[in-house]
Amino acid sequence: MDPSFEIETEALSQILDQLDYFQILKLPTSANPADIKAAFYRESRLYHPDRHNALPECAFKEQAAKIYKRVTEAYVTLRDDRRRRKYLADIGGPEREKKLRFTEESEQEAKAAKKKELEEQIGQTPKGRQLYQQAMRDLDGKRPEAAVRNLKLALTFEPSNERFKEKLALAEKLLPKQEFKVGH
Amino acid sequence: MAQDDVAMGIDLGTSYSCVSLMIDGKPTVIPNEWGDRTHASVVSFLEDGSVLVGNAAKKSIITNAESTVYSAKRLIGRFFFSDEVKKAQSMMPYQIVEGPNNSVRIRVANQDFSLPEISALVLREMKAIVENYLGREVTKAVVTVPAYFNDNQRQATKDAGRIAGLDILRIVNEPTAAALAYGFGRDVSQKIVVYDLGGGTFDVSILEIGRDVFEVLSTAGDTYLGGDDFDDRIMQWLADDFQAKYNLDLRQNKYCLQLLKEASERAKIEVGRDGVAKIWAEGVCQDAEGRVLNLEQTLSAEQFNRMVMDFVQRTFKVCDEALQSARLTASDIDAVVLVGGPTRLPIIKNSVKHYFQKEPTVGIDPDEVVAMGASIQAHALLDTSAQNTLLDVTPLTLRIGTVGGYTEKIIDKNTPIPIEKSKTFTTSRDGQERVRIKVYQGEDNRSEGCELLGEFEFSGFKIGYRGDVKIEVTFEIDGNGIVNVAATDVDTGQKTSTTITLSSGLTEADIEASRERNAQTNVTDNAA
Repeated sequence: MDPSFEIETEALSQILDQLDYFQILKLPTSANPADIKAAFYRESRLYHPDRHNALPECAFKEQAAKIYKRVTEAYVTLRDDRRRRKYLADIGGPEREKKLRFTEESEQEAKAAKKKELEEQIGQTPKGRQLYQQAMRDLDGKRPEAAVRNLKLALTFEPSNERFKEKLALAEKLLPKQEFKVGH
Repeated sequence: MAQDDVAMGIDLGTSYSCVSLMIDGKPTVIPNEWGDRTHASVVSFLEDGSVLVGNAAKKSIITNAESTVYSAKRLIGRFFFSDEVKKAQSMMPYQIVEGPNNSVRIRVANQDFSLPEISALVLREMKAIVENYLGREVTKAVVTVPAYFNDNQRQATKDAGRIAGLDILRIVNEPTAAALAYGFGRDVSQKIVVYDLGGGTFDVSILEIGRDVFEVLSTAGDTYLGGDDFDDRIMQWLADDFQAKYNLDLRQNKYCLQLLKEASERAKIEVGRDGVAKIWAEGVCQDAEGRVLNLEQTLSAEQFNRMVMDFVQRTFKVCDEALQSARLTASDIDAVVLVGGPTRLPIIKNSVKHYFQKEPTVGIDPDEVVAMGASIQAHALLDTSAQNTLLDVTPLTLRIGTVGGYTEKIIDKNTPIPIEKSKTFTTSRDGQERVRIKVYQGEDNRSEGCELLGEFEFSGFKIGYRGDVKIEVTFEIDGNGIVNVAATDVDTGQKTSTTITLSSGLTEADIEASRERNAQTNVTDNAA
């Protein structure tokens, strides 16, 4: 085995999660379908596990296998027009680093997320809902201490409600400043 | 690679098996000492405890019917409640019983055998043929499976290899192996279709082959369709006819049924070769008065073609599907490779020619091409300087069960392998200690229309409020098309423990026990 290829493989396997699919296939984002296929073949010749089957178990073999799975993932995403468009938008937009691996939001998931959001806005438990509404009235009435207290209580019923957490953070900011004053 | 390191390629077929080796750079089918190049995938348990395998065993189907197992591939990796098992129970002279976890066992002389154990006996015979030929031990092998085999069936085939004492380098898809053999030394750049009609399964794969890369573009199939079904049609026709003449149903007696089955298989081959088949089975049964009755009929090509036309049409529905997945039309195909004994039938050859508007490639033996391809790949896997790269796909969509009997897609069919996909799950109750996921393969969005691969249970993650615990589950399909599932706790990065609670497969202990029993069994291909 070429030692420089071994070093290259090790380095690539370590930064895999920071690369987008174009970088993995060593392609510009303007690549056409023929380029994508040629790149897939080229990387397959290098990293396909069959190529290294005869080697004894070693770190290189594992690294190559890890890279290759990402190569196929890149290929199946980029060879499909619809997926490629969504992926390009994903990696070109905000939170790029979270979207380097393509995710297809399923219809079910989208529905569930919407439902969850709606529920969180009003609360999922009767007690949580009641306390939350009281806290909102407290905030409107400029009673941040009461709002904080009610939101904290609401969170004991719904510990993972993001909306409650958000409002609590907001209410806490409105509390009269004590010893620790944060300057601007 | 070590100078003397060799690996064989084995085509483990429903009806016949074949073994090949690379010799002087050429894939070469290895005959047994009687000169047979293909070997019936039949296992006959003899009274003295020894086992007869191959063409000699096939002759025992009638004389030793209850202790002779054939077409085991139709049952391997299936659940006891599946339709295929129910059908086999009514057709097969050997006893099919239920094993642990809805698995299938074959009962011979009060002993239960798993399907991988039966197939292991055939594999051991292939191993023995190679060892006898080379005069030394060989343990490495590539074994082929129908492209459309699901994870359970692949896993069971791999288990069979281990029980036989083989080191399975790779499970390769049969049409892919055939394409390798077709492309070997041809140096062409083509889009080809492999039409593989075997004894019990039908596969079609579309490949793009080049100088050194063979890419499977799509595959489709039917694991319930093969040459056996053609025999079946002839058999039903013969039995109906006999019943009309003598008011006796030959299907009611397992001995008569076997005679009928043999006569039907012979008739299929004859009508394909000569255009007409004279069916004659002497003394097939006795009537109520004790008179010996003979089975006598003539089957014309036209009659036969009409009998099997719906099967032939079904294969082209599968071809439509494969072309569509590859985003090609029949006219984009440069060459057609035929695989499997039934493709010798004129009705198949002509229909294929008509569908693809192309003469199928000649000079390829449909019974041997898969084993040859397997040996090419076996050789390449031992050789770090090998130039061929085989890019295969997963034939079925991988899914997980969701609420209300629905499923959600994880990895699409025809996705190149190896590949992995992760999905994050959260707990739904406070203090939840376990998360369970059911994994399926199939094209139905309802779980009942898919094949269950197993139920995975994850535990050992951090305990917390519902929704606060995140578990990332990674689904991997490896180069053998076998599914692996693993999970980690997202917050701690800790791997969680995984147990499979529902599976038709064998445990490590089962495999070890079978391996010992298998090694102690005396296997021979000589009836004398």
